[in-house]
Formats: sequence, C-alpha cells, structure tokens
Amino acid sequence: MFHKILIANRGEIAVRIIRACREMGIATVAVYSEADKDSLHAMLADEAICIGPAPSSDSYLNMESILSATVATKADAIHPGFGFLSENSKFVTLCQKCNITFIGPPADVMDRMGNKSEARNTMVAAGVPVVPGTKDPIHDVETGKRMAEEIGYPIMIKAASGGGGKGMRIARGPEEFEANFLNAQRESVSGFSDDTMYLERYVERPRHIEFQILADTHGNVVHLGERDCSIQRRHQKLIEESPCAVLSDSLRAEMGEAAVKAAKAAGYVNAGTIEFLLDSQNRYYFIEMNTRIQVEHGVTEMVTGLDLIKEQIRIAAGEPLSFSQEDVVIRGHAIECRINAEDPSRHFMPCPGTITNLHLPGGNGVRVDSAIYSGYQIPPYYDSMIGKLIVHDIDRPSAIRKMLSALGEVIVEGVNTNVDFQFAILENENFQSGHTDTGFIEENFDD
Amino acid sequence: MIKDLFRKRYHTLPVSETEGKEPEVPAGLWRKCNKCGKAIYTEDVIRNHYICPKCHGYFRVHAYRRVESLADTGTFTEWDRELPFSNPLSFPGYEKKWKDVQARTSLNEAVVTGTAEIQGYKTVLGVMDARFFMGSMGHNVGEKITRAVERATKEHLPVILFTCSGGARMQEGIISLMQMTKTSAALKRHSDAGLLSVIVLTDPTTGGVTASFAMLGDIILAEPNALIGFAGPRVIEQTIRQKLPAGFQRAEFQVEHGFVDAIVKREDMKETLGRILALHQTGKKPISDVNGVSSEDSYADRQDNGGASAWDRVQISRMAERPTGLDYIQELFTDFMELHGDRCFKDDGAVVGGIARFHGLPVTVIAQQKGKNTRDNIVRNFGMPSPDGYRKALRLMKEAEKFGRPVICFVDTPGAFCGLEAEERGQGEAIARNLFELSGLGVPVLSIVIGEGGSGGALAMATANEVWMLENAIYSILSPEGFASILWKDAARAADAAGVMKITAADLLKLGVIEAVIREETPASLETLPVLCQDMDVRIRRFLQTYGSMSRKELADHRYERFRAF
Repeated sequence: MFHKILIANRGEIAVRIIRACREMGIATVAVYSEADKDSLHAMLADEAICIGPAPSSDSYLNMESILSATVATKADAIHPGFGFLSENSKFVTLCQKCNITFIGPPADVMDRMGNKSEARNTMVAAGVPVVPGTKDPIHDVETGKRMAEEIGYPIMIKAASGGGGKGMRIARGPEEFEANFLNAQRESVSGFSDDTMYLERYVERPRHIEFQILADTHGNVVHLGERDCSIQRRHQKLIEESPCAVLSDSLRAEMGEAAVKAAKAAGYVNAGTIEFLLDSQNRYYFIEMNTRIQVEHGVTEMVTGLDLIKEQIRIAAGEPLSFSQEDVVIRGHAIECRINAEDPSRHFMPCPGTITNLHLPGGNGVRVDSAIYSGYQIPPYYDSMIGKLIVHDIDRPSAIRKMLSALGEVIVEGVNTNVDFQFAILENENFQSGHTDTGFIEENFDD
Repeated sequence: MIKDLFRKRYHTLPVSETEGKEPEVPAGLWRKCNKCGKAIYTEDVIRNHYICPKCHGYFRVHAYRRVESLADTGTFTEWDRELPFSNPLSFPGYEKKWKDVQARTSLNEAVVTGTAEIQGYKTVLGVMDARFFMGSMGHNVGEKITRAVERATKEHLPVILFTCSGGARMQEGIISLMQMTKTSAALKRHSDAGLLSVIVLTDPTTGGVTASFAMLGDIILAEPNALIGFAGPRVIEQTIRQKLPAGFQRAEFQVEHGFVDAIVKREDMKETLGRILALHQTGKKPISDVNGVSSEDSYADRQDNGGASAWDRVQISRMAERPTGLDYIQELFTDFMELHGDRCFKDDGAVVGGIARFHGLPVTVIAQQKGKNTRDNIVRNFGMPSPDGYRKALRLMKEAEKFGRPVICFVDTPGAFCGLEAEERGQGEAIARNLFELSGLGVPVLSIVIGEGGSGGALAMATANEVWMLENAIYSILSPEGFASILWKDAARAADAAGVMKITAADLLKLGVIEAVIREETPASLETLPVLCQDMDVRIRRFLQTYGSMSRKELADHRYERFRAF
C-alpha cells in the first residue's frame, strides 16, 4: 500500500480523496494554486504545496510543478481526481518515468479510449453495440437509400463538412429519405463545396446511461450498475441518479455485461465509466468511455455501499478486487444534485464571491460533498460547482422527497446558486414520473 | 482560520511499512529553456523541432539532427567526414582542445557537408554546428565548404548551407581569414555556372562567416529571431558606448534592412527548400513551351473609350477599390514565394517581388504595391517606391536573368517617393540604374500598367519588351496636378491638364508607347478581377510564346530598338 498520496486536484473531489486516504491511514499532500491558498483541501491535507499562479495552465495543469511536488514530498502515488490532468496520457507516462504510481488506467489504454474512432472500433470488435452508421462516404441518393435500409430508420443524414446544423436532416422513414438527402447535400455543396454525406441511425430522445466499472490488475472486472445522467443543460449534467427509473433487471444485466466486455476489450484497469445512449425502444449504443473517477460517483457509492476512491487506491496498489459481480447488490435509490455558484436568471453565469453565511443539510441518507465553508472565497478561475448534495432512500419517490427536503436546508449566502433551479426540476411532473431524456431541460425550461 | 481548529486524530502508516522505491525525476526528463527559463519536457522539445513549447524560442540544432530533419530518408551521403588536424600557427593547446571537443560532440569539425535529396530534389547540403568551437571557421571548415561548393559546380548541383557560427577561428589566426575569400570565390564560380545557392542563417551567424559565404546566396533565408550580424552586439555596445535597441541584428531586423529574403519557421523549412529547389530545376522546358494559346482562347480586342474623359480615368486609376499588384499576382500565378530586400539598406514595402509559377513555368513577378487602407499604406508608402524598392526589383530581375525566368512587372505608382531619405540614398541613380540594366536583360520582360503609371517611377519598371495598360490606367510624364502647376502655375487645373497630356491607354496606344489595352467592362474591381485576369492570361501566354523563343541578344536588341524609336 502507498504511504503517501499527492492529490493533483482541488475543490470537493480533492477533499473527498483526502478523506478516503485519512481513513485508510495514508498521508496526503495537497497541491494548490495561489488563488487556492485558503481552500479546504489545502487545509485538510497533511502537507500542502503551492504549485503556481491561479490560471489552471500554470498550476493544476502544470505537470512539472506537480511532479516536483511529488518528488519533494516523497509521495508514492498521485490521485488526479477528475478534470485537469486526469485523462492526460502524457502525464501518466511521466509519472511512470518518475517512479510514481498514477491512480488510474495505464497511458496506452487512456489513449486508445480517448480516440473516438479507435474506441468505436474496439467496441465493434468486442461485439458491443455502437450507433450504426456508414463507414464510407456517400455521394448519391441511390447508394444512400440502400445504406439507410441497412442501418435502419430513423436516419440522420450528415454532411461530411457540415456544422451548426447545416447539411443535416433527419429522415424518419424511406419516404422521407430522398428529399431530405438531396436538401442536405445541396446545402453542403453551396455552403462547403462538398457533396460528401454520411448516414447514422438517429437515436431519438435518448437517455444518457452510464455504467460504473472497476477493473483490477489481475483481470477481474465488475460493474456497479448504472447512473442515469439525462438531466443536462448544454451537455452539463445537473442531476444524476442510480438506478435508472426505467431499466429492467434483465436489461441492466445485459448492459452491465456489455460494459464489462467493453472494459475487458479496452484492457482497462481502475475505475472507469462506459457511456451508452438508450433509446425509447430500449436499444442501447456505446458512445464513449471515461477513464477517470466521475463527479457523480457518489450515487453509485450510496446504492452499492462501496467507496470508489478507496477501491481506486487499492487497485492502483496492485490489490485484487475483494468482491465479485454477485456480491454487488443495488439497494434503494440515490439522487445527486450539483450545487453550482451561478445565476440561472442570467444564463447561468458563474458567480464567484465570498460565502457570508452557510448552512448545509444532514440527517439519515443525506450526504454533502463540498469544499466550501463560511467565509470561503470562491475564486473565479475554476469550475463553478461548489458541492454535491446526495440523498439515498428505499425507492425513487422517497429519494425525491428526501432531496426536496434537503435542498430546502441549503443556505449559501453571498453568492447566487442554482438551488432554486434544482427545486424546479425535482418538482416537475415529467421528472417525478421518470419521463426524462437528454432533451428534458430544453423542453421543460426556457433558457 | 479554521485550519487551526481541525483536530488530527487519525494515524498514518509509517514509511517503513511501505515497499517500493522513492519517486525521482530521471535525469534529462526535463530541461530548462534558456530563453524563458521554464521547465520543459525534453521529448516535447524534440518532437517540436527543438522549439520551446512554452515560449516558442528556437534551440540550436545539432548538425546531424538538422540533416535528418531536411534530407529525404536515407539520401544523405556525407563528404570529407574526416580532415587531418590543421594548426597553422602551431597554437599551443589547440590540438588537445580540438580532440576534446571531438570526443564530446562526436563531430569532426564545425560543419557537416554532403549530398542529399530534399523532397526528391538532389542538392549539396552543408550544416554548421555551434557546439564545435562555436561553429568558427578555420582551415577545415573553409576547406569542407569550398570542396562541397566546388563539387556542386562540377556536378551541376545547387548548394544549401545552414550557417551557425561566431566567425573566424581565432586559434588559426590569419589562415582563418583566408577562408573567407576561399569560400566566397568558390561560390562565385558556382554562381557563374548558373547554379543556385541558398543560405539559411541560424542563430548565431556573425563575424567572418557573415562577411563571406553567409551573405552570398541567391536566396537567403533565416530562422525566426536568429542573431545575424558582422560585429557582435556586445562589441558594438562597448565600442559606441550605447545600449542597442531590442531586436537589433535579429533575423527580423535583417529582413527589414534588406539582407534576408524571408524568415522561415523550422517546421516549414523542408517544404520551403523543396519548393525553391523545384522552382530552380535545370533542364526545364523552354519558355515558349508554356501552355499554348488555342483558337478557344480569346480576349476582348476592342479599345472602346467608352466616353470617359481623361480626367475620369485619372480618378478611376486612383480608386481605393482598384485591385493592387498582389491581387493580380494571386489571381494569375501559383506558388508565389515573396522575396524581400535590396541587400543594401532596406526592404521597401512599396515594391513586392518574388518567384511564382505561370501555367507551371517559373517566372519572376514584381509589382508596385499600394495599400488597401491607411495602416497598410504606411507599410506600402502609398505605392511610392524608395531607391531600395528599385534596387530590390533590379536584384530580382538579375536573378531572373541568371536562371532564365521571364520577368512580369505590374506598374501602379503615383511616382517614385519624393523625400529626404530617398534623395540621400540616390533615387535618381536607382531609377537610372534600372533603365540601364533592364535595357540589356537577357530574358523576356513584360510590364502591365494596372493603375497609375507615374513618370520615372513607373518607367524604372516598364523598360520592357512590351508594355500593356488596363483601359482605365494612366501613364504620364508626371501627375496632371504637377503638370498644371509647372506649366500654368495652377494645380487646380489638373482636369484640363489631363485632357491635353495624352495619358490614357488609348492615347498611348496611338503614340506607340504601349502595345496593348486590356478592356475593363466596368472599372476594375476585385469582382471583375477574374475576368480581367482571364484576358491577361491568354495575352501573357501569347507573349511568352513569342518572346520565349528569342535569344538573349535578340531580346535585348528588341528592347533597345523599342526605345530607340522614340
């Protein structure tokens, strides 16, 4: 086991990792930028080292400073958290060269999964379903129509050079194909002087379903069920829950098996996430793999009773998983709300500033992961997420009620937050009845 | 501070219970950039052409790494790898130091020479290395370069030399000085044989190397921010007891002062050299073989005056919307490579020139360039060339003659620049020199007046085998304003002057001053440019077919008679 871990991150995830280390008896080193000298993670760690000025590029992305800090403090591993250097394969290589364990997957796996087309090819080879589409460019409507039949409707027609919706059409059936194809192609020719088109199955109103997996260095891979992250605003997740309201046990088992197969095909080690789109007919397609711990890992922890950060550290230290797939039981329902310092009335503009008064909820099944405290100054340089409120109860309706109760206790004075917006989502009928997909925010709320 | 209130009641594992080695940064993984002082990952630097990924400063490149980055894989053959030690002054301690440096650098001398292919074109290549006595030139360096150039002359090959040197090698004293003439003389013979030499100045190039072969290329390129000069900046500061301005003697300074054709980034160097070599391939087809004119190619042969008065045309010719020289160059030619500087004092923004291809045929194009807006016009000096502009044009024309490239000029100037500095540097002499040299140039010369053809300033680029004008261009002894002021003491009567001066294309065609008028359906603009250029394209092909088959003497005679007749 490691005796000291450096946490190459900030904010609530750094605090979360420090806490796990303390519980495991591992000493911690925090790194912080000049703007973060009064931050909680720097205070809680056993040692704290300043690694540069406020901009991330000079501090939390500064590999040389972080490696120097690791060597100087004789830490034997680095936990990258999420964001920053967590998916930087060059950093992983450098850690290895410096005899430091990177808590995450090896560099080559990270590279392979980071490349979208390579990841897709790996999944196709492993028999994991991907969004069906054409591999070769299409120039004429006859070939297009033939390919569309093969792929299956509805079909998304996309110009190779297109962008911003130009040269893009949806054909819901064969009768709509020719006109839409020709229109899209005409737009592409006039806009980009290119008649090259591609076809892809149009996944209608999909849910964003991701499976958490853990893989050790001994070849064991398990999945810890799914998270439904469909509540997104401009691709930023707002609410995540586990399990998904509409997934049957058999589909969960099937998708989980696919996720494990995907992780094995990638040669994956450590904690990772396999992302799928799930359409209204319960067809699912692999979209990408995240090679890091995720913001929303907490909901999985609540329903499985596992500590994912501790598992990550044990895996990195070479220990085999202490449980098998059969030991993983999903109990009850967990929901997470991301609390951001931002102003929903002004296009969700970030609101840095000083927290003048703070009260956070607690009680049975209520968890707050945060790095804020009364008097804390939120710096303007980084992400606006200031905390995560997670609740756990016996089923989804109970969890929603608990979240509504807990949200009501969140008092953050001095800066604007999105708490009221979270209330509005939770109170929405469609949300409560589980009728959600990635278009939920767009359809139910004005921006 | 809440930090002091936290209680620490947890225990951490003692270090002794952990296994494994301590973390350490292996030597050489990082290095410090000697320019910005930041730590940089060595592999990033190597992948990035030895350029600092943070400040983009250029590191000096080892000679063999440079060769690898330029030569097509496996094509480099080194010449004269080992020469015996030379110590003409029997300088004490020199041999030991020479051997130490050899052992440390795995180099035999401060230059590596040989032959290679760059993008498929065979060339002689010499690359200096600063690690060997600061790249200084003693007998062996001079000898290797001279032998390489001599062999290039014998084998009819171009020469590309990358310079990097502090100057002469002190330990070899006066014998080092002799290398300057030795190498220069070898390049003279190489040049006299009609062969191409390209010099690439890298940081630093100073002293006796600058004052010999480094400044003698047909084309001189430089790496960004390279220090280039004769006397080093420290010596100059000590001598004149003044602080030198920022940027003094850097590559950009040398371009501004006319000594460097172009600055080329390291990542573009191979491709640029390949293009230059391609543009200078010997054994090419004769000029008259340019894409023939067929019966389908036609141009408007009407010289319709359209009712516009001479004064109207003066104003049209000066319109800001009128296409400028560079617009025509971009439309008519491909592969344009701009070359800068007069090799004397300055690079004049009012004249642009370089090598381009016309239907694949390498040609030299030169244009008087007006700006499109005020800021642009400060650089372009409103299209009024200084003596440096005419000297740049002449230098490019002489190079065109050396390599047998036709010269195509675009004339568009209110007149030669009228000012103190212009007189100091000999505006009259510069114009006269162009008339003198151009009259005898051994390649076809074509001039097209696209806007204003202002007096001697225009003539210095219109001493051609044929001169054409756009329909709304003017060409005159001086501006109508100047004419009215001299003759009638009233510049306000410019419109009257224009009426009597015979300055329109139609008038000049009648006077035999020009050979053709290119019709403008509507006054030339960027929208009508493609149509105008289609017309010009056919005419230029016909011109090249006619004059391309003439001998050097016939061309000079033709030009002589053309002007003798006036």
